[in-house]
Amino acid sequence: MGMSYGMENFIAILPLLVKMAVVVFVLLLLPLPLTWIERKIAAHIQQRPGPMRVGWHGLLQPLADAIKLLTKEDHIPTDADRLLFRMAPVVALVPPFVVFVAIPFGEPVRLFGVDITLSMSNMNVGLLFILAVSGIGVFGVILAGWASNSKYAVLGSLRSIAQMISYEIPMGFSVIGVVMLANSMNLSDIVAAQSGVWNIVYQPIGFFVFFVAGLAEAQRIPFDLPEAEGDLGAGYHTEYSGIRFSLFALSEYLVVVILAILNVLLFFGGWQHSPFFLTPSLWFLLKIGFFIWVFMWFRFTFPRYRYDQLMTIGWKVLLPLSLLNILVSGIFMF
Amino acid sequence: MARSSTHKRSWIGWVFFTDLWGGLRLTLRYMFSKTITHHYPDFEKWVPYPRHRGHHFIKTNDEGDVNCVACELCSKICPCDCITVIPFEDAKGNRRPEVFDIDLARCLYCGLCEDACPADAIKLGQEYEVSSTRSENLVVHLEDLIAAPRKSDNGGQVMAAKLVKDEAPKSVTTGTSDGFDWWERISRKE
Repeated sequence: MGMSYGMENFIAILPLLVKMAVVVFVLLLLPLPLTWIERKIAAHIQQRPGPMRVGWHGLLQPLADAIKLLTKEDHIPTDADRLLFRMAPVVALVPPFVVFVAIPFGEPVRLFGVDITLSMSNMNVGLLFILAVSGIGVFGVILAGWASNSKYAVLGSLRSIAQMISYEIPMGFSVIGVVMLANSMNLSDIVAAQSGVWNIVYQPIGFFVFFVAGLAEAQRIPFDLPEAEGDLGAGYHTEYSGIRFSLFALSEYLVVVILAILNVLLFFGGWQHSPFFLTPSLWFLLKIGFFIWVFMWFRFTFPRYRYDQLMTIGWKVLLPLSLLNILVSGIFMF
Repeated sequence: MARSSTHKRSWIGWVFFTDLWGGLRLTLRYMFSKTITHHYPDFEKWVPYPRHRGHHFIKTNDEGDVNCVACELCSKICPCDCITVIPFEDAKGNRRPEVFDIDLARCLYCGLCEDACPADAIKLGQEYEVSSTRSENLVVHLEDLIAAPRKSDNGGQVMAAKLVKDEAPKSVTTGTSDGFDWWERISRKE
């Protein structure tokens, strides 16, 4: 009796375990192709071929880089706070992974007679959960900057903190319009609410604010002040090397992926309206890929904003715009 | 935000980011344009113009003797003191160099030795790949200089090539085609 009960329990949670394993595996490997794509895009924008020598068109270059990073000396500065220094990369890496708990990748599918949802948890406050958890990501940056005991790292992490806290506010406000339209914070419901028209049509300002705040939140050009090579060395991870550095790089790539996913889910209809030759989930992934490409395209087009400009954009442009967006959405819905 | 007063733009352009769109359009065009870099040293190699000042060579006359009369003017004028010449009298009673060493690691390829030479012996050629894994190999001797490649008539093209890996890695041109004019390829037709 006990045995079969345990077995039934196991079968019940088996799909969840499989989904977890797949997500973790994919997320850990995702930065490899992404670095290759990013370098290729950078190269072609600058009219050069990029990595060409390791594998076909440099396809194995990320693998070589990974081996290099893993075998490099993992140096901890003498005066660093060793415990925090070791903790920081993990603290930075956990939130992006946790966010994927709440992200749905398509309609539930039926497999071997069992309904399987394409998300780990179909939370009713999924959007709030994602915003809250990605807010925690800033702690990794704070700890890294503080523990390194280095000028550049502290300055970089101070900039990161100010930037991330400033831009979380317009980011949070900008999605309220979407929540109002869907009457739900559940991401699947938000996608379902876009079965008629994508939210981008009703919420162009909301999308604009979300997109720009997302760029700032991911610390990407034109808002990459925390890592401004010119003035800060490498920002908060100046003192990091080897595997710990690659954990930071991994978390930064995952944040980019999350932002692309959120842009698609909230404003571009998720897996709705897939063309006949694609399954909804593939259509969804294609759109995510498009947004990742757009982020990279932006990165190699724009210069960096000055710090006061960054704050001006956040507080004097995006925040009023997002509030205006809520007001206008409210009036229209009323 | 400091905007130039001489170049006045309408507020519409400012609100809808016309500048940013222009930048994005430019980089998008470049993203799908042909790359302009040489695939050196794996597939292509730049063959410099005949006027290029590269690896030295020493000319020989019709009798097979070197033109050099070991006057040591090149060694005297050399600003980095990288030429060593020791004269001797050969079997025909001519003054010739017994030793003619050039330290390529010190040479700055200014071409003053070529200008100073009264006997039309030392010249700077088009060869520019002198890398080596051993610094001793960078000191070239008389026989190396006689054997070094002469100036060729062609130059100023990118030629098909392949990398040869050994102690002195080199990119060697392959095929017989004249290559292509790189400057012509990168010129922008607006």
